[in-house]
Amino acid sequence: MVGARVHSRRAFLARVGVLGAAVGGGGLLTRSLLAPADAATDSLLPPAVDLIRPVLAELARDTLNGLTVFAMPGRDPYSRTQGTPSPTPGAIEAGATDFIINSLDNFVPFPDAIAQPVGSALVTGLADSGIALPGLEVLPVDLRRLDRALATYLESDEALPLSFPIAGLLNLMATQVNPLAVNGPHLSPFARLSYAEKAAAFELIERTDADLVELLDVQFPEPLKASVSGLLKFVGGALIEFATFGAYGESAVYDKVTRTLRKRPVGWNHTGYQPDGPVEGWDDFIGYYQGRQKVSD
Amino acid sequence: MRDVIVIGAGGGGPVVAKELAAQGLDVLLLEAGPRHAKPREEWTTFEDDANNPLTGYLRWGPSDRDKPAWYREWPQNSFVWQLSGVGGTTQHFYGNYPRAYPGVFEGYDGPDRNGYDVDHRFPFTYGELVPYFEWVEATMPVMTAAMGHKEQTFFRGAETLGLPVQTTKTTHRPSYRPQENAILQPGGTAGKTADKDLLVYPKATGCTFCGYCFQGCMRPNGAPRNQFAKRSTDNSYVPMALTAEVWSRGGKPVELIADAFVTQVHTEKRHGVLTATGVTWRSGDTEHREDARVVVMSGGCTENPRLWFSSGLPNPNGWVGRGYTDHFFDWVFGVFGDYTGNPKGVGSSARLDYPPYGGLENVGLPPALAAFAGTLSDSGIRGHYKNGRGRTGPWDGPAGRVMGPELKEVLSHGMDRLLSVLVITDDDVEAQNRVTLSALPADENGPIPKVTFKQRQRTARTLRNREFMARKAAELLRGAGAEKVYRIDWAPLILHVQSSMRMGSSEQNSVVDPRGETRAVKGLFIADNSALSNGLGGPNPTLTAQALATRTAEKIFATYFDGDPWVRSSAPVVSTDPRISVRLAQLGL
Ligand SMILES: Cc1cc2nc3c(=O)[nH]c(=O)nc-3n(C[C@H](O)[C@H](O)[C@H](O)COP(=O)(O)OP(=O)(O)OC[C@H]3O[C@@H](n4cnc5c(N)ncnc54)[C@H](O)[C@@H]3O)c2cc1C
Repeated sequence: MVGARVHSRRAFLARVGVLGAAVGGGGLLTRSLLAPADAATDSLLPPAVDLIRPVLAELARDTLNGLTVFAMPGRDPYSRTQGTPSPTPGAIEAGATDFIINSLDNFVPFPDAIAQPVGSALVTGLADSGIALPGLEVLPVDLRRLDRALATYLESDEALPLSFPIAGLLNLMATQVNPLAVNGPHLSPFARLSYAEKAAAFELIERTDADLVELLDVQFPEPLKASVSGLLKFVGGALIEFATFGAYGESAVYDKVTRTLRKRPVGWNHTGYQPDGPVEGWDDFIGYYQGRQKVSD
Repeated sequence: MRDVIVIGAGGGGPVVAKELAAQGLDVLLLEAGPRHAKPREEWTTFEDDANNPLTGYLRWGPSDRDKPAWYREWPQNSFVWQLSGVGGTTQHFYGNYPRAYPGVFEGYDGPDRNGYDVDHRFPFTYGELVPYFEWVEATMPVMTAAMGHKEQTFFRGAETLGLPVQTTKTTHRPSYRPQENAILQPGGTAGKTADKDLLVYPKATGCTFCGYCFQGCMRPNGAPRNQFAKRSTDNSYVPMALTAEVWSRGGKPVELIADAFVTQVHTEKRHGVLTATGVTWRSGDTEHREDARVVVMSGGCTENPRLWFSSGLPNPNGWVGRGYTDHFFDWVFGVFGDYTGNPKGVGSSARLDYPPYGGLENVGLPPALAAFAGTLSDSGIRGHYKNGRGRTGPWDGPAGRVMGPELKEVLSHGMDRLLSVLVITDDDVEAQNRVTLSALPADENGPIPKVTFKQRQRTARTLRNREFMARKAAELLRGAGAEKVYRIDWAPLILHVQSSMRMGSSEQNSVVDPRGETRAVKGLFIADNSALSNGLGGPNPTLTAQALATRTAEKIFATYFDGDPWVRSSAPVVSTDPRISVRLAQLGL
């Protein structure tokens, strides 16, 4: 029983990307880094939190790189992994990942009362889908130590950045679509998917009968549970639209102080939008249709 | 004690405020969001800076942009585009001002009379509203729109559909035409040059074809606020309300307070009748309360029900918040070999009306908003998954998001070679589409609203109309010469909002009586889009909402202040009147 539980736990952490990000091939934590936190007892817990926070942040960034190139591919490695490299700059150059992270972590007025339990569920949930994950053994780690660091982080008073549960959701779906994505280039399962597999991951999120809340195994009281379930459907659409808006917008090159652009936005170059920058007007007035300037009954 | 307190300075509230101020009443106008008094210092022309719903200067949130926006619950893939601030959602609207179709009013007996939402008509005739249409049209003023290349392209397509050109204000039959817009048409250098130095008021007057309707109108540069081209209420009715004493004999300027979020409508029983007595609002962390003889709710289709519920007002027939209509939009765009002028000029200056199915209009968008519009779908991602839909038709391939490599290819073909058509559905009033209070945590102003739209379970008529109009859009684009046509099958993009506190003749399914007063609370009126009886058949709603609000202002004056109506007996003052400009300058506005 215990063995099964540990396996399932390991599988879950691998699926949301935490295990791989922490200790996998490109992992950010080494055993030795985790070990000291475990060596002593409670007094060393804060360092564990300090260790896990950047891991989760990097994991989120990597996952969201995978999302933004899905919206606008470019010449970057993520677009190559996705199988849709492009000769011209894409979302990465357009700063779309920063845009998404900043939006999620600082501006989405998502109630903590929802973000926190979903986030925790993505770390503590068991969600054993029965999918066999290959290669788990290449992620050697003392699960207990990693779990302890995570638990400490989640129990601390820090507000959980929303980018983390969002990344967790994408990664969970990614491994549902392609179990092999637990290992490979980049830090996150989602970033390892092909373009078609990413679409399949979104199909799962958007599918109207998929009860993601069940899958996440979060315990929300009704009527909150119904709300969370609806919210996740909204989130699926919103992630796509926001990633695209960010990729084609000016946010990365906008100077808030001077209220001008430091550079021409990537999206403007692609689309040929206002070649000489902002205008006061255009000479596009042709006349009135059929010469009519006024109508009446 | 005020005569009248108006809640919300968006499309509807300033109309009542201005009309009653002109009659000399003491009016307080409360607006939850910011007052953008100096747009040249506060605004830019950039999409993210302006329109990002989380952080933009035109968003649904408090004035302080470092604070998060106000969160709303949408339990489906959808987007409810609310705006706070003086001007409300008209700050970024397109100023398209068609009249409602006659078929949505009581007493209509045209041959297509059974084709409309016959169970939810306006409780009076079209003819009854005509003087109010004319009043608003003269006040704004509403003008026939000039044509740019995108309109020329649209008309080229419309000409192939075998429909007549409409040359009247009233829509009598399927037809196409230039928009009637609440936009001052180009004068002087406007529309004729891109040279900044020449595009200065008064060398340039009216619309300069800048293409920034969605980012807020502050052109021509140097014009007084009430001479900016687009007649959002912050450029038209609000300036009039604030200067009522200079253009109306006996007029009394309205007091406008921004950053004032109303959290409670107060009532008491008077002679056994529940009656409105005043409101409480929050400014920052302080609460204020004032009483009034009449309270007018103009917070919009989503916020009025919220305020109603959180004030604990009665809802005897269960219709508060129900019957929300949104024209169940769709988006069809064409890729052209030639120049279309897509992002230039007024957002939309051409339309096609198709009673009793709905209508079409061209819409120009800058890149990020165009990309957003191409990826908001209920039909998955083209070529990958259909989310149970993905219809085929006279467009290319299945409907769905144009995403990733495909979107990049389409947009890289050039913004200037696209033409987008907004598909507007004549949609039914349905009880299931509604606003309730959310179970999610309250915000600083109380429990938040939840906006539910069951887009897949809409009535057979609504769904049929949408398919019909989407096909027409594709045919129009083909006729105009599009090389490729895409249908997105939008998830609900809720920005033509109507009828969530609907006016009706039946006590069974309406919140507001035919005079605009709520059935459950005396002295409480609704004057904005939520009071509309239905979705108007598809025409953009603001003109009709403002005509109705003007009528409601008369009813308020007659019922509670013993006054006479004025619309049939006097001439309106145009909102561009120079006396208003002079007074605005004195006020530092
Ligand atoms: C992109 C876009 C383009 C559009 N184009 C057109 C067009 O071309 N033609 C057309 O007719 N319509 C158009 N519309 C729709 C148009 O904006 C609305 O019809 C109109 O603004 C509705 O007016 P309203 O008064 O009902 O609501 P709003 O304009 O939304 O105004 C409500 C106001 O009340 C305030 N408020 C809400 N609650 C409170 C409270 N509790 N206390 C204090 N204040 C409160 C809000 O902050 C807001 O300012 C467009 C909309 C969008 C989003």
